[in-house]
Amino acid sequence: MTVSAGPVPRRSAGATAARRQNRAAYALVLPFIIVFAAMLIVPLAYSAYLSFFRTQLVGGEQFAWLANYLRAFTDPSFLGGLGRMAIFLVIQVPIMLGLALFFALALDSGRIRGSKALRLLFFVPYAVPGVVATLMWGYIYGPDYGPIAQVVRAMGLAAPNLLSSHSILGSMMNIVTWEYVGYNMIIMYAALRAIPQERYEAAEIDGAGQFRIAWSIKIPAIRSAIMLTVIFSIIGTFQLFNEPSLLHTAAPNSVGDDFTPNFYAYNVAFVNQDVNYAGALAFLLGIVIAVISYFVQTAQNRRQGEKR
Amino acid sequence: MLKATKRATALAASVVVTALTLAGCSSSDNGGSPVPSSSKAGQAEIDKAMNTPTTLTFWTWVSDIDDEVKLFEQKYPQIKVNVENVGQGPDQYQKLRTALKSGNGAPDLAQIEYQHIPSFTITKSLLNLTPYGAGDLKSNYPEWIWNQVSQDGSVYAVPQDSGPMGHLYRSDIMKKAGITSPPKTWDEYAADAKIVKEKTGSYIGDIASNEPVGMVGLLWQAGAQPFGFDGNKTVTIDVNSAEAKKVYSYWQNLIQQDLVSTDPDFNDQWYQGFSNDKYAGWVTAAWGPLFLQGTVKDTAGKWAAAPLPQWNAGDNVSGNWGGSTNAVLSTTKNPIAAYELAKFINTDPASTKLLNTQQNLFPAMNSVLNEASFTDATSDFFGGQKINELFAQISPTVNTKFQWLPFMDYAYSEFNNTVGNAMTNKGDLSAAADQWQDKLVGYAKQQGFTAQQ
Amino acid sequence: MTETLTRTERKATSVPQRRDSRRSNLLSILLWLCALYFVLPLVWLLIASTKDNSDLFSTFGFWFGRGFSLWDNLVSVFTVRDGQFARWGLNTIIYAGVSAIGASLLATMAGYAFAKYKFPGATAMFSVILGAIMIPLTALALPTYLIFNSIHLTNTMWAIIVPSLVSPFGVYLMRVYAADSVPDSLLEAARMDGAGELRIFWQVGIRLLSPGIVTVFLFSLVATWNNYFLPLIMLNSSDLYPLTVGLAQEQSASAAGGGAQALFSTVITGSFISVVPLVIAFLFLQRYWQSGLATGSVKG
Repeated sequence: MTVSAGPVPRRSAGATAARRQNRAAYALVLPFIIVFAAMLIVPLAYSAYLSFFRTQLVGGEQFAWLANYLRAFTDPSFLGGLGRMAIFLVIQVPIMLGLALFFALALDSGRIRGSKALRLLFFVPYAVPGVVATLMWGYIYGPDYGPIAQVVRAMGLAAPNLLSSHSILGSMMNIVTWEYVGYNMIIMYAALRAIPQERYEAAEIDGAGQFRIAWSIKIPAIRSAIMLTVIFSIIGTFQLFNEPSLLHTAAPNSVGDDFTPNFYAYNVAFVNQDVNYAGALAFLLGIVIAVISYFVQTAQNRRQGEKR
Repeated sequence: MLKATKRATALAASVVVTALTLAGCSSSDNGGSPVPSSSKAGQAEIDKAMNTPTTLTFWTWVSDIDDEVKLFEQKYPQIKVNVENVGQGPDQYQKLRTALKSGNGAPDLAQIEYQHIPSFTITKSLLNLTPYGAGDLKSNYPEWIWNQVSQDGSVYAVPQDSGPMGHLYRSDIMKKAGITSPPKTWDEYAADAKIVKEKTGSYIGDIASNEPVGMVGLLWQAGAQPFGFDGNKTVTIDVNSAEAKKVYSYWQNLIQQDLVSTDPDFNDQWYQGFSNDKYAGWVTAAWGPLFLQGTVKDTAGKWAAAPLPQWNAGDNVSGNWGGSTNAVLSTTKNPIAAYELAKFINTDPASTKLLNTQQNLFPAMNSVLNEASFTDATSDFFGGQKINELFAQISPTVNTKFQWLPFMDYAYSEFNNTVGNAMTNKGDLSAAADQWQDKLVGYAKQQGFTAQQ
Repeated sequence: MTETLTRTERKATSVPQRRDSRRSNLLSILLWLCALYFVLPLVWLLIASTKDNSDLFSTFGFWFGRGFSLWDNLVSVFTVRDGQFARWGLNTIIYAGVSAIGASLLATMAGYAFAKYKFPGATAMFSVILGAIMIPLTALALPTYLIFNSIHLTNTMWAIIVPSLVSPFGVYLMRVYAADSVPDSLLEAARMDGAGELRIFWQVGIRLLSPGIVTVFLFSLVATWNNYFLPLIMLNSSDLYPLTVGLAQEQSASAAGGGAQALFSTVITGSFISVVPLVIAFLFLQRYWQSGLATGSVKG
């Protein structure tokens, strides 16, 4: 996601021109920066400030140094949520992105009948609000009247309880996969479309199969697009909120209020009314996301470096 | 995991101690919300307030309560009431707390369940209604209800409805199993559970694993005192007492023998359980009958109601599950009008009648509970039984001294994480209750309370 | 300028013919089977919205029930609680529309500036903006709420619209897009003609950036349309709810309220209706957002 710096304005334009351009640049950037600062930086700073305090029902508010942060390191709810998300990251993200890549390559290969329609069908779930998706899947999973259970029972088997505490993580992975495969596919597909055809025409003439072309030409060519989807998926995973919060209602014992770190931070803030600790949790979560994203990116860059 | 919690608790506790020493007596205004004057608001003041154009905001999740509010607006045309539904129970409390915390945006009055009143009095968020004449209402209510809304002479809410507990069952399924009279004791209930399961395949009932309030109601019946709060700095936490463990191990036994189910309640699947005969009964509260009537119409006429089974034969005690109040927030600028609205909705005869017949609420007031037109009503859904009369008789048998913690939201969410989990997994409920106890004590200490166990 | 325009256009439209037409039946069948996975839940939703409460729970999910209640459900959707659903729909359109226009405008201006000017602080600002994508927004909710409440903005439309104006990803996308599709030579030529910088942006930049703008617009539209969390905490009056919060609340009211409140089939039908507009928007604007994304991800 590193972006090359913009082109340098021609020096010959002179100092006044440069100043004029700077003014224009600031005028263009300023509206966004103002809203950005007000909506992200200020709450963030406020949250940071709050995270150094402790508020008690009895005794009020005191400065607490890093106590909230230290508490998070031994908080089984927070750590448990992180662990769950780590599993999510290791299992769901590769499946989702693998499917997305497969679909994108298949559609791009030009060998699919009705590829235009397919592209849309894959993408449609992204346009479905998370609230609706979870509600809908909640019904579909229903162990008594849900269609999955109905089909399984019709085959004479015992219907699985997809909302039990053992399977809920998998069920949630499925919902997220359903929602976002299409989205990721579109990003990859769009990148594939932008590859100049000449790059692999030669390979095709040489008789290279589609798989070979995909593997050694197409995938490397859209590496940055894939990286983008990876980073977005990491961020999305650790920020899971809608799904657990709505499944919490459908299956209260399977989805605890600490199921994902983000949902936990929300509950700490709004149910336990502990803004201070919630602020600390949010920061730690942000740091975890940043660190993982950073490592994934550097690992990828290094691999890319070795290959060259 | 326990070890980690303990460490966190110890750490938190040490910080608390330091903090308390540092804070010293800086927070000395523990006297309760400011009271305008020690004497009651005079009639002249009330008349003036009720004839001044005023807009009140009222947060409630009771659906279509606008009808009762309209009656009030007809009586006091100068007062306009905005009824807002910001969510059911906990959802509303969250919003209320955040609004209170930030100092504006809170309504004038709000729907608050009995069990959550201390959670709001601890933050001095509820207006003491005694100066506005609420003390006069005392004689209208059963003792246990009045105890729920008052503390040391202060009254913090006007009771709206109540939920004395009873046992609803499907007489047809029971009959099929050869059981002709409802269980009088919990021992009989357990024996019947076995027969019902063997003969009909139905569970005698569902003891929902996500329903701390129902379970606490059963603890209440058993004479346990799991919670206590002195209104100041001391809480009593005793969710794993001997009385409580008697209740847990009773249900654990039934759960492990697969004689009762533990499905989460009030979701679509649970509703289905009633219409497809999965459950042959429901240990519930007085609002249950009307609730069922609207939900599983196709089982009409097959139901019957009885008092809760007893721990000792011949006893007659019950607990309470649910019920709520209208409380005035201390941030209101119109305390008199807000109190009058709360009083009107919950005591005016036309309004209380509507509350019962349209909103399916089981009354709290004696006058309604004892009214002939209420008690004599028969229910076709319950095969012609006089349901109201039965629950009206149960109401005075509710244990009178039951208290709550000033942080029930937390207590309930931890119940789900501990005891509720054990119920789902058919595990050891008593051990889970010990965990629940630890969590609650830890939280109380961390919040600066003195916790008695 | 015409040259650049066609260049972008070609990317979007001319590609389908460029590959050979050796179709693979096996792969086609496989993909169409996969498509079932994405479509079946929505088919279920459509079928479920033709059922009444009791059919919903007692008949097979993928076939119609004993009665056909779509019409009744639709009537119920729009009449329950004095027809609040229509109100929620209107709110959603306002929130999503205004936010998406605002967000794409702000992102376009900023992205263009980052791409086309080198000015002091640009790199620092851009890194901060990119870093902001990492912040779990839900965790900022409470502080944001407290700040908004102190300036009396909670429970107003602004509480939803203003935070939705910020789209760091939009800025990133527009920067990449602007770098790619607005040639410096064109800007220089315009400068030679004596046009002011802002006029160049409005007259030259915006036109060249339009596919990118549509992309950012669409994604902001979806983000706000589907947002559940922000309105959940910011709004109290149900008159201000968007569809997501309204539906979720109706669902939980039917679960908890029982009796006359059992609106399960109404909620399902309402959910179905709430999905339709976005699907249509994506269908019709397909060409734009695909080309917009292409550049964004390639250069990323």
